Amino acid sequence: MTTATDLSFGEIAPWQSMLDRHSELFLDMVEGSRIGFVSREASGILPGKHLDGVKAATDVPLLAWQLENGAMSARIERFAGMASTKVDLLLVADEEAMATMLGELQGDTPTVIKRLIRRGRMMFFVFKNKAQLQDAGYEDFLDSLGLAFLGACR
Amino acid sequence: MTRPGEAKLNHLFQPGKIGKFEVKNRIKYGACCVSNYNGRDGTITPRELARVRVIAGTGCGLITNQGAYPDALGEGKSYFRQIAIHDDKFLPQFEMIARYIHDAGAMAMQQILHAGRYGGIDLGYCVQPSVVPQTLPHFRPPRELTKDQIKVVIAQHADAAKRAVRAGFDATEVTSFMGYLLANFNSRFTNQRTDEYGGSVENRGRFMRELIDAIKQATPDNPLSIRLNGAELMDRWGGNTQDESFELMQQAVDCGVDMISVTVGWQEAPESSFGRDVEPGYWNFLSEKAKKMFPNVLVAFGNRLPEPAMANDCVKDGVFDYWEVCRPLLADPEMIHKAAEDRMEEVRPCIGSLNCLSRLFRDLPYTCTMNPMLGHEVEPEYHVTEATEKKRIMIIGAGPAGMEAAITARKRGHAVTVFDKADKIGGALGAYAANDLARPADLQSVIDYYGVMAKKLGVEVRLNTEANAKFMRSVLHEYDVCIVAAGSRTDMAVFQYLEGAELLVDALEVAHGRVKTGKRVVMIGGGMIGLTISEFLAKAGHEVTVIEKEKRIGGDIMPTFKWRHTAWVDELGIKTVTLAQLVKVTKEGATVKTPKGEQFIPCDSVIVSSPRKANHDLFYEFQWMVDELHGGGDATVPRGLDAAIQEGYRLGVRI
Repeated sequence: MTTATDLSFGEIAPWQSMLDRHSELFLDMVEGSRIGFVSREASGILPGKHLDGVKAATDVPLLAWQLENGAMSARIERFAGMASTKVDLLLVADEEAMATMLGELQGDTPTVIKRLIRRGRMMFFVFKNKAQLQDAGYEDFLDSLGLAFLGACR
Repeated sequence: MTRPGEAKLNHLFQPGKIGKFEVKNRIKYGACCVSNYNGRDGTITPRELARVRVIAGTGCGLITNQGAYPDALGEGKSYFRQIAIHDDKFLPQFEMIARYIHDAGAMAMQQILHAGRYGGIDLGYCVQPSVVPQTLPHFRPPRELTKDQIKVVIAQHADAAKRAVRAGFDATEVTSFMGYLLANFNSRFTNQRTDEYGGSVENRGRFMRELIDAIKQATPDNPLSIRLNGAELMDRWGGNTQDESFELMQQAVDCGVDMISVTVGWQEAPESSFGRDVEPGYWNFLSEKAKKMFPNVLVAFGNRLPEPAMANDCVKDGVFDYWEVCRPLLADPEMIHKAAEDRMEEVRPCIGSLNCLSRLFRDLPYTCTMNPMLGHEVEPEYHVTEATEKKRIMIIGAGPAGMEAAITARKRGHAVTVFDKADKIGGALGAYAANDLARPADLQSVIDYYGVMAKKLGVEVRLNTEANAKFMRSVLHEYDVCIVAAGSRTDMAVFQYLEGAELLVDALEVAHGRVKTGKRVVMIGGGMIGLTISEFLAKAGHEVTVIEKEKRIGGDIMPTFKWRHTAWVDELGIKTVTLAQLVKVTKEGATVKTPKGEQFIPCDSVIVSSPRKANHDLFYEFQWMVDELHGGGDATVPRGLDAAIQEGYRLGVRI
């Protein structure tokens, strides 16, 4: 099925190519590790109004990166709300962030994502705790996003 | 009798009144950090009590004891060894703390800290107004509080306040600082409830108003302070605007709170609120606004405001009524007394390294880069006592390790001489300070402090004197003890067989300004030294590429400041190549080897900042020339400023 919102992630091949180019970020990750992206507008996970997204989202496309057979692969799935989502990390991108990411898939996409998070264009949620993420090998990836793995308080 | 500093800082040292309680000055010891010195069940340990005795003696008029969690389950517990106040069994230790504070002539306030979103450290979940997932992996998945549970939490706070007053505390404080439960209810980011506790600012503030009301009813004769964000710095995530934050303050004032302590930022906020990169005084406008809006309520403030003189001006100008200070008093518990005696140049400065917080997030007790005694108050071995046998001590190296050892040993009655081949004290720290983008004055203040104390205590410092075997023979039998604190160097020998090795430049030479680099620079090593110099060069207009052999840059930087370096790297356009090793250098550029193959990077200069090698060669030279030989700081293992100061102190206090 192709819908307008599906198109917001574009073709899967450039995503896959980008993940293959940055495979070093996922070297330590365990099989089944999953990172998800959804559109802020489509999911309804808006700043200050997350519950709409948590509870009401239906039939919203989710770009999932999943580690299988030792490599990260990209695919489009359906996002049915935060409570039932099966990802370790969820990134919620606004329209500008979606467009920026798509335009930078040939370049240094992790750095682009890092900047979008810092600029508030992309919200970032974790669904596993520190120990679980460490055990699952997420440190390199989180570090590439410029996130303080062991707390902040700056 | 008024002391000279009290006359100078007369606004800060003027008495005040909070409720019916007289306060000797306008300084509030802020409960900004929990210590993590206590039992896993929340009991207060002898280590904590010894520490609190020091806090009580800081000279502050009002002392806030660190935050205690109010519930038996520990949903409010945020830190590994945080103290608890949910049961009368904890009373005896709280009574002792209140007594220590009163004995020192101060007013005693107990903070109640329910961490909400950041709580439940032993439970695997946290409680919040709404189920908003975490943005930092450090914390735990959320559960939504029911209305009945909200009532219970409020009652727990009121019970905790009552218990604190029974223990002898004069006042209590509830904190929303850095995103704790109160902040979670107040904020649009974490409160998306649809009942009467969520939605409008009025509804979001309902929890706070009921909380204030319950505590005021439980302890009607005792003032209540409430710590509220002037700015959450969470706007991008949908948090409160500054206007909403002040609207919530207004609600607290209308409920009869006695003091508003204005704070800045959440733990998950994407920018600094009190790190070294924030200029002192930067956030004062928030406190000033609060004071203007609420002239009849006491306002306390202290975010990134480390200087008593600045605080004095703020009190004078009506920016706040009470200076809330904590971290500068971790660095030097005597600071207020020194200010009162007009001896500020003798203060061990807080450099905002955030070592204290870095350790808390690793579930370790907090320590201080500048104060090696912090956390060891209970141990006699750490106290500076007169030496039984006075010795003649020579110290090789006038960096932080050597100077710390020197002034500590001198305080104990030893005769101390420091030798350094440079023409000034400070060692590599001076060069590092000169390249620091955050705030060079912070690091330079460490060197200035050592200079002042060496002079005051009578430590002899011989500069431009290189210590080697010949030199040692010339001073043979003049000294009983030698401490080698000669720091570390770039290990250029690692590259000696590399093609083009003669073109390499030592990072320390660049940092000292002795070598100028070309426009395009390759930096070997992405640790603290390499990044600091790279950032400085990039800001000065150089094009910089950092080569790091590990997977990530900044591996030796404290977690609470690492983000700042990685952000600078990004903002300044510094390129990084990780998992890379230098294989060849020519006048045209550097060739590096990565898992993806060889890569040529055109450049004019190749600077080497890593690996580091300890300058411990002197050990072998001196071991048959002096009775006692010790090593400290980077001369044993290259690390950083905190290790240098800690080891210098331990040597000084032991010999």
